[in-house]
Amino acid sequence: MIAVLYGVLILTGVIIGVTGLSDIVLYNIVDERLRIIKQQLAIKIKDPEQLNRAVEELKQELIRAYDLDKPWYARIPRIIYQIMVLDLGTSRSTLSFSGSNKVADIILERIPNTVLMVTTAVLISSLVGLVVGLWSATKVGSLLDRFTSLISAISYSLPTWWFGMVVILVFAYELRLFPSGGMTTPGLTITDPITRFLDLLWHLFLPVLTLFVALVGSWIYVTRSIVISITKEDFIVVGRAKGLPERVIRNRYLLRNSAPPILTNMILGLAGSITGAILTEAIFNWPGMGSLYYNAILSADINMILALTYIYTLVYVVARFILEVLYVVLDPRVRY
Amino acid sequence: MKKLLRNELLRIFLSSSISKIGIIFLAIMIIASAYVVMFMPLDFGLRYWNNPTFWADYPKLVPPEWVNIFLGNKLLRHTILITEKPTLSLEDTKQYILTYSHDTDQLPQTIVFKLNNITFTYTPIIELSVRRPDGRVINLLVIQPLTSGVSERVDLSGRLEVAVALSRFLKDEFNVSISATEVIQRKLEFKILMGTPVISNGYVDFKTLRGNYMFNVFLKSDDPTARIGSVEVVIFGWCYGLMGTDHLGRDLSQALLYGFPVALLIGVVTSVITAVVGALAGVVSGYYGGIVDEVIQRLCDVLNNIPLLPLLIFFMFVIRMNEELRRTVSPLAVIIIVLVVFSWAGIAIIVRSMVLSIKSQQFIEASVAVGASSIRIMFKHILPQVAPFIFAQMMFLTPSAILSEAALSLLGLSDPSIPTWGQILESAFANQAMYLGLWWWIVPPGLLIMYSAITFVFIAQGLEPIVEPRLRKV
Amino acid sequence: MSLLDVKNLKIYYFTLKGVVRAVDDVSFNVREGEVLGIAGESGSGKSTLGYGLMRLVPPPGRIVGGNIVVSGRDIVSMDEGTLRREIRWKVISMIFQGALNALNPVYTIGKQLVEPIIFHEDVSLKEAYERAAEMVKLVGLNEDVLRRYPHELSGGMKQRVMIAMALILRPKIVIADEPTTALDVVIQAQIMNLFKKIKKELNQSIIFITHDLSLIAEIADNVAVMYAGKIVEYGNSDNVFNTPKHPYTQGLLKSIPRLKSKEKLSWIPGTPPDLRNPPVGCRFHPRCPYVMDVCRREEPPIKDVGGNHLVACWLY
Ligand SMILES: Nc1ncnc2c1ncn2[C@@H]1O[C@H](COP(=O)(O)OP(=O)(O)O)[C@@H](O)[C@H]1O
Ligand SMILES: [Mg+2]
Repeated sequence: MIAVLYGVLILTGVIIGVTGLSDIVLYNIVDERLRIIKQQLAIKIKDPEQLNRAVEELKQELIRAYDLDKPWYARIPRIIYQIMVLDLGTSRSTLSFSGSNKVADIILERIPNTVLMVTTAVLISSLVGLVVGLWSATKVGSLLDRFTSLISAISYSLPTWWFGMVVILVFAYELRLFPSGGMTTPGLTITDPITRFLDLLWHLFLPVLTLFVALVGSWIYVTRSIVISITKEDFIVVGRAKGLPERVIRNRYLLRNSAPPILTNMILGLAGSITGAILTEAIFNWPGMGSLYYNAILSADINMILALTYIYTLVYVVARFILEVLYVVLDPRVRY
Repeated sequence: MKKLLRNELLRIFLSSSISKIGIIFLAIMIIASAYVVMFMPLDFGLRYWNNPTFWADYPKLVPPEWVNIFLGNKLLRHTILITEKPTLSLEDTKQYILTYSHDTDQLPQTIVFKLNNITFTYTPIIELSVRRPDGRVINLLVIQPLTSGVSERVDLSGRLEVAVALSRFLKDEFNVSISATEVIQRKLEFKILMGTPVISNGYVDFKTLRGNYMFNVFLKSDDPTARIGSVEVVIFGWCYGLMGTDHLGRDLSQALLYGFPVALLIGVVTSVITAVVGALAGVVSGYYGGIVDEVIQRLCDVLNNIPLLPLLIFFMFVIRMNEELRRTVSPLAVIIIVLVVFSWAGIAIIVRSMVLSIKSQQFIEASVAVGASSIRIMFKHILPQVAPFIFAQMMFLTPSAILSEAALSLLGLSDPSIPTWGQILESAFANQAMYLGLWWWIVPPGLLIMYSAITFVFIAQGLEPIVEPRLRKV
Repeated sequence: MSLLDVKNLKIYYFTLKGVVRAVDDVSFNVREGEVLGIAGESGSGKSTLGYGLMRLVPPPGRIVGGNIVVSGRDIVSMDEGTLRREIRWKVISMIFQGALNALNPVYTIGKQLVEPIIFHEDVSLKEAYERAAEMVKLVGLNEDVLRRYPHELSGGMKQRVMIAMALILRPKIVIADEPTTALDVVIQAQIMNLFKKIKKELNQSIIFITHDLSLIAEIADNVAVMYAGKIVEYGNSDNVFNTPKHPYTQGLLKSIPRLKSKEKLSWIPGTPPDLRNPPVGCRFHPRCPYVMDVCRREEPPIKDVGGNHLVACWLY
């Protein structure tokens, strides 16, 4: 797992090294530092000539410190380290809600927003998917069953972000029922927590609806095929032969055995949805990492893009890790 | 025997209605693509789509014509009148008459006179006028072209001389006074030009005059060589074509059509290369084992566990940032390469496990004993057995390539010289089409993306019973 | 009176491509302490018959006719609840074919063994575990398998656990469907010995289903030979093995390798029929060396050729 993370980081390091992007990133950091130092020095050193010389000296020092005088491949370990600790300087285009322009500050602030939106959607859609999937698994080959495979086909081929645009067109423009974007009503002065919460829900509705539609089809399908494959297992028949009540068969045999694979899908699905929601966030102008990514691309904010790519990869790796831990609890076959 | 098996598999495939639909969809896609390749210029993107002057005579942001079927109040159609020869030729005057019949209450967005390629020895005088259905004539404008060979484009809206003429016309004929600047500010040009004023409660309103309008262009000159190459009058309507237009007046139906071969190309090329790379890696890994196997499997592990979209975005961004790469590599090629790099692992892993089980089959062991070469064994025995599986995977890869390209287009990271459905949506999003209710700009491209993706999903679903015999109906 | 009486049992699979007559008009009975062997090529309907006796035929299969009378009660017409509470596992239990996946992977062996005791009898958990431990020892396993998970056991051990599970409620009849097929030869012999031990020590009635006649010869008192969903020969083991009457049984016996015999091994030519659309007349006629005109027209009735030796063949 950790190897994956390193793999991606090294790959990223090499790519930005070869293409010269790492230089831009590092110079950006150096310049930022110099600006601060220059301000401090300006108080002490009054002579502009002398000040410039001092700054220039410092600059050379920093360039050496960041290995900018060496070829790009010598800088890879350093840049990897900097990405890992999110020491990526400042953003060119965005400020954090509290006014900081440090990349790390901006991102950390936005993670909860993304998590809020995506987890809500994933929870709702996986719950619905679970119920409908279980239900259709008991009716294999029926009309309902064919319908689920159609729904999953549609889900698979639906560009989520486009669906978001359509949803805005219908619900925000035509019907004027929901706001077309954002997370709170701008200028909302009421501080009553219930009103604020309802306002949040009102804003959350359309993006969550969009993600829900995009996700639910595959949930139904996945649940269905997992449950069906377990229904066909011999131990289910044995359970019936043992004269156990249907309730016990369902809970202890069917559901209990479906849990590990379903959970796997749920956690990977959550990680996948966080990255998959980049464009949906952008469409709904949801103040999460996705729209940050979108804006960073529009304004060519390299430091930000680098940091976000790393965070998104990290999300995946963390999901994998959680999964491995959970599996040990859930499935005796992987216990040692 | 082999042939029998193949026929049986084909029968199973075709027996499901979902694969039939998939095949029909695919056929439609191929036909559309063939049409584009045969009848549309291949540099459509650069030469036409991204060239705003080409679309100057199209109405901007209007819905398709067929909405008239659903809307009771008819939307005015876009009309272009054109003539190359003068209708009347007197000694010192050539008169070009273009007749237009107006039969709705809706007024045009604007009317443009186009005088193409005016040639002369001595500067002529050109007069533009309109004769309305009620017989009244409005002299709109007089122009004097300065150099021979130029073309004149006269947009009647927002032009002061025209407004002055209209203001005077109103005063003279109906005794209603509205100043020329007010005409321009309140955009009254066509209400006056094509209507009669009605005064109620002190307000001036206009009633549209239906019937035949004659647009006249007089070329007055002693110079017998003076002529206008062609005279056009463009009446900008409120709907256009099959699919409407965008903010530049571009005919969306053309780009939508052009999107077919592009989507097909991206999807098919990506999936074919991915399948080939994945299958080769899987076969090699499974067949040789040892260190080769170990390396390939580790690589697959890494590739399978990273999020595709952010990395795809990242790579596309890197390409765009680097001057040299941007000039030398097409973003489309990069999308394909990156997709291949990150997708082959999935195929390789499964092909490998299939190869491992096939390898233990007796006839393969026998071939090895007989001394058949590895390559021969792989091609003759292993590939045919894993082929249906690889094919099904390809069918799933195709839509994901199409969808990825669309997603990157939305971020403005795709190839701007080749219009795709994703790019139409990108400009729709950038121009806030959703908030303006411009549904024809949003809905069709997305539906087409879905259509092309679902075509392959259907085929893949139809292949399932072949790949997974347990799902076969008994 | 016999323990189990099966009369004219018909089990069909209603597939989209036609009705598969997997078990067609089958009758036999099993006495207390008797081991009945059911033999036949794969696809002849043996497993379906086994499932039928538990009333667990998987859809699209269904029992379409006949009676299964166990200890005087017909289970074909019994309601599902009674069947579950009073018959399944308590009166008839089954060791399923390919039993390697028959254990629930997420629970310990112990839990799965006591499960039927808890649901069918009113005993404490502790007592149930004690009985499970005893049964595990009876089938030759160490007591500590109770704490293990299925994936920790070998194939042979799992099969022993399955046998222990089938016996745990001391049912009147145990159906063993190909209990040795998935195992390697050495383990197969051990399991066969276990069955002999169970037969002798517990006087257990067993329906022993296999495609391997030599296994039946080892253990069965009576033998039923199935072909294409029908019993073609039925009788006392000695009679059937020493004087096989039906050409199919004769063919089957010739195909068993015997140590002492010098006879050449042979296999019956041809393949078993498609049960969706079985041959008219005797179902074996296309492969039969003694085929006569009547075989192609009419189905042979089952006839007693003496000493309760029944055979369905126009030759007799
Ligand atoms: N679930 C099922 N659906 C349809 N046909 C089946 C099913 N299970 C078994 N059959 C058919 O019933 C016949 C008997 O099968 P089975 O009882 O498994 O035979 P055996 O156990 O003797 O090998 C076969 O022709 C088989 O194809
Ligand atoms: Mg069987």
